[in-house]
Amino acid sequence: MTELKSILHVEDDPSIQAVARVALETVGGFEVTGCDDGQHALETLAGFKPDLILMDVMMPNLDGPSTLKRLQADPELSRIPVVFMTAKIQPAEVEEYRAIGAADVLEKPFDPMTLADRLKRIWEDVHVDP
Amino acid sequence: MSTPEEVQEQLAALRANYQIRLNSDLADLHQTALELSESLYDHVRLKTLRDGLHRISGSAGSFGCASIGLRCRDYEQRTQMWLDSSATPEAARMLELCQGLSVLKNELEQMIKGGGEASAADVDVPALDSPVRISLVGNESSEHRGIADALEGFGYAVTLDSNPKALAQGGARPDVVIADYQSLDPELSALFEPKGAPALILLDRTDSFDRRLEAVRHHAKGYFVYPIDIPRLEARIRRLASRHTQDPYRVVIVDDDAELSEHFRLVLEGAGIDSRVVNEPSHIVAALRDHLPDILIVDINMPGCSGPELAQVLRLDDDWLKVPIIYLSAETDQDRRALAMRQAGDDFLAKPIGDSELVNAIKVRAQRSRQLSEALERDGLTGLMKHAALKEQLEIEVSRAQRMDAPASVVMIDIDRFKSINDTYGHATGDYVIRLLANLLRRRLRKLDTVGRYGGEEFVAILPNCSLKDAERIFNEIRLNFSQLDCVAGKESFRVSFSAGIAPIGPSSHGAQVLEAADQAMYEAKTGGRNQVRVAVSAD
Repeated sequence: MTELKSILHVEDDPSIQAVARVALETVGGFEVTGCDDGQHALETLAGFKPDLILMDVMMPNLDGPSTLKRLQADPELSRIPVVFMTAKIQPAEVEEYRAIGAADVLEKPFDPMTLADRLKRIWEDVHVDP
Repeated sequence: MSTPEEVQEQLAALRANYQIRLNSDLADLHQTALELSESLYDHVRLKTLRDGLHRISGSAGSFGCASIGLRCRDYEQRTQMWLDSSATPEAARMLELCQGLSVLKNELEQMIKGGGEASAADVDVPALDSPVRISLVGNESSEHRGIADALEGFGYAVTLDSNPKALAQGGARPDVVIADYQSLDPELSALFEPKGAPALILLDRTDSFDRRLEAVRHHAKGYFVYPIDIPRLEARIRRLASRHTQDPYRVVIVDDDAELSEHFRLVLEGAGIDSRVVNEPSHIVAALRDHLPDILIVDINMPGCSGPELAQVLRLDDDWLKVPIIYLSAETDQDRRALAMRQAGDDFLAKPIGDSELVNAIKVRAQRSRQLSEALERDGLTGLMKHAALKEQLEIEVSRAQRMDAPASVVMIDIDRFKSINDTYGHATGDYVIRLLANLLRRRLRKLDTVGRYGGEEFVAILPNCSLKDAERIFNEIRLNFSQLDCVAGKESFRVSFSAGIAPIGPSSHGAQVLEAADQAMYEAKTGGRNQVRVAVSAD
């Protein structure tokens, strides 16, 4: 299994982007590229293939689920695991996001000290479960 | 690559920013809710309210405001219900929500105020991660006791051991062993041979080339002749102890070929060089700012923006002047290579390049680059920041403190009666006293503080996130500490003191004003009898 190294973080709130950068880069040691919505993420993904995408559900322009659909249409991008982050975490919602292909769903707010470890575990699960 | 303290500092800074924004968001939401309580069903406004509450409920917990986040989630759900039923919320329910929001705003304001005090407690934590352990092989003679006390004054954990052989037998192994040349024997010196063994520093009564050579053969990493120059000894200990913790070299690679650049990155990382890849030239500035590389490696031929163009873009900005740019390219045409170098750039490595060749080429240049930038910014005598770099740093800290609305203090320090030290004991002793104080300041302040040599015997310290009260307390401790150190000049020993003035960085002050105020307070400390710390009323 290859190690989780690079993450594309898609999030429209600059404060969350900043705290996630500390959580993932400084605490987790990952390389993080940030985008502020789904449209921007798709543009970035044209030239850069991260190991994992961490994405907010509610975003202006193109929201999380719609962005995921676009990714799935591209064979090269569809293999990148997508983890959703959302503040509304109803069990039904988690199931819904998993059903459309999310690797996992994390709850907002997150603890900056443990976020990186949670993503590492999700990454391991994705690779254990073929 | 960051210590837990640094992570906490970064998070605290983000938290402070967030709380300020949250405060104004809560005020806006309160206003929206108030308007909603007075109107009929207003879908757009309700949605604004819901989205605002949603944003807080999803973020506050990450910034230490979990309880505010949870209550916003509750309000968000209520708002969602009104939206779902498209019914005008009862005015009473909406006013309840309004009141709830003002309670949150009050709580937050208390938290912001309290946070200011809580962060000051961090100031108590000394700069050291864990103290470097030193074993001084010797006896309770005043000479050895004096060295041990002086090193303890610098924050080291020093034990005086009479039986050096005990070092081999487990226990907490020291990082550095200081021993008399006479106490050396082959059995003892063998302890210092293995990699990772404590570093050995030898003290000797006589100085000769042969003795020094002998010391090297005993695996010594330092050699000092009595009377011991404590600041020099301390500087050597600091260097030896930091040998393993020196920051790895940092490199940024700009290349549109994702696979090749990834390969370079892996090779360099494998050699302990912290590397980052940028495939898109337009992302370079963010990468430089985040990564602060010692070296920038740039491909020459990239679509959109060529290597030399990129180099020229960076050279537009003084900030990146000192980062050497090395082209890595398959370009074999001598003329075109020469042209690339003329436009900007410092060196050329030809592709294809072997892995070890790349690592060696980068290591040598990164080391040189780091040494140069330190030499340019650091004062030769003390290793502290020089006047110009210090002033630049002050401007950075002033705007940071104002942006974050956090307290910060600037301290001007001047050694008392310095001229008479020079006149009595000579300039070499004067230099020694300056190094002594420089080392003490470096040991006692936090990593995020800045200390520089402002002029001859004048120093400036910038303490972000530190109130006047805390700065005064810390500098009184340092002052006491310094005034009790025994300075050695030949066979004589004497004591020195300093006077200090502290000024706050105010919401609208400029760097120069703050320095002026600190200087004025320092002057008052001098006229008030020296060996004291005075606080300026306000820099604004």
